[in-house]
Amino acid sequence: MEPIRPGPSSPAAEPGDIDVGALLTLVAGGDQTAFETVYDRVAPPVFGLIKRVLRDSAQAEEVAQEALLEVWRTAGRFDPARGSGMTWVLTIAHRRAVDRVRSETASAQREARVATADVAAGDEVAETVAASLEAERVRHCLGGLTELQRESITLAYYSGYSYPQVATALGVALGTIKTRIRDGLKRLRDCLGVSW
Amino acid sequence: MRILGITVGRRPHVLAGAYALDALEDADLSRFERHLLRCRTCPDEVRGFAATATELGLAAAVPPPPALKAAVLGAVGALSSARDVDEAIAAVLSAPDARIVSGATSAGGTATVVASKSRATMVFTSTGLPALPPTSVYEVWFIGSGGARRAGLVPPLPSGVAGTATPTTVPVLASGLASGDVVGVTVEPAGGTESPTTTPIVVLTL
Repeated sequence: MEPIRPGPSSPAAEPGDIDVGALLTLVAGGDQTAFETVYDRVAPPVFGLIKRVLRDSAQAEEVAQEALLEVWRTAGRFDPARGSGMTWVLTIAHRRAVDRVRSETASAQREARVATADVAAGDEVAETVAASLEAERVRHCLGGLTELQRESITLAYYSGYSYPQVATALGVALGTIKTRIRDGLKRLRDCLGVSW
Repeated sequence: MRILGITVGRRPHVLAGAYALDALEDADLSRFERHLLRCRTCPDEVRGFAATATELGLAAAVPPPPALKAAVLGAVGALSSARDVDEAIAAVLSAPDARIVSGATSAGGTATVVASKSRATMVFTSTGLPALPPTSVYEVWFIGSGGARRAGLVPPLPSGVAGTATPTTVPVLASGLASGDVVGVTVEPAGGTESPTTTPIVVLTL
C-alpha cells in the first residue's frame, strides 16, 4: 500500500493522520484493511453523532452499523471534489439518524422526548463533548452565535429537527428560522476556519 | 421583505443552511435540489456548510461500544466474500469455454453445472431437489479416474420452502475441475463426507 498524504483540506486531520477520503478510494476497491482504518477514524463521530440525535444507545448502535455498512457498500460514490471523506461519512450517518428520528416522530415515545428535550439541546453540546480541542473549538464558536442561531442549528443538527419543527419548538416564524440557520452556519464556518 | 417584486423569504437560496443540516422536508428538499442545479453560488455555500456540520459532528464523538466494530467488520467480511463468490461465479459463467450441462436427478428435480475447463472451475445449481432432513445434505463431487473428490455441499433451502415451489439452490462454486471429470451428487450425512457413501442421484458428463 502506498503512503497516503494527510488531506490538506480536512480541518480535522492531525499531522500524520491518514486522510479518510484517500482510504475510501481503497475501500471502493474492496480493501477490508483500509476499511478497518476508516472504521477506527470515523466510528467515534459516527456513533456519537447518531447517539446524540437518537438519544438512545441501543438504537444508535443499530443505526451506526447501518451507516458504516453503507460506507462500505457505496464508497465508490465518494467524490473528493465535493468534500472531505469525513464529511461524506458523517453526512451518511446524520441522514440515517434523521431518517430514524423522523420515522418514529409519530410515536408517543418520541413526542414525550421532544417535549422534555426541546431547547435544552443547546446546553448539551458542552456536556457530550469531551475535553477534546475539536469540541472546545466548536463550543467556543457556537458561543459566538446569537441565541436563536445557536438553538436553531443545534436543534436541527443534534436533535434532527426539520426547520419547521425548529420553528414550532422555538415559537418563531419559518422564514426567520431559515435565515437564522444560514446566517449562523456562515458565522460558525468563519469562526471554525472551515476550508473544503 | 420585497426586492424588485420578489419576496426574499421565498427564494430557495436561503434554504442552503437547512439543506446542509438535513432539516428540509420533502417539498422544500426537492425545491432546493432543483434550485441547486442552476444556482452558481449555492454549491460552494452548501459545501462550506457541510464541512461546518462535519465539525459539529466531530465534536459529538464518543467511543463506540467494542461490539459495534466486531459487528461491522464481520458484516463487511461476509459481504465481501459473497461479492468475491459472485465475481468468481460471474467469471465462470462468462468464460469463453463455459459449458452448461443439465440433468434430471433420480430423487427429482434438475441439477445444472456450468463449467469452464480453462479455469478448472464449475458452478453447480439445482431446482426442485426434494428437501432433506437436517441430518442429511446434498454433496457435489468431481469424479475422475482417481475416484471422487469433494466439490462442495449444497446449502439447504430455508425451511418451509420445500414442496411449495421448485426452489433453486444457492450456486456452489468449486475449483479443482480436472480434465475428464464428471460431476455427481450424493445424499450424505450433514456436514458431508470425504468420499461418497451412497449412489449418485445424478451424474453430469461435461
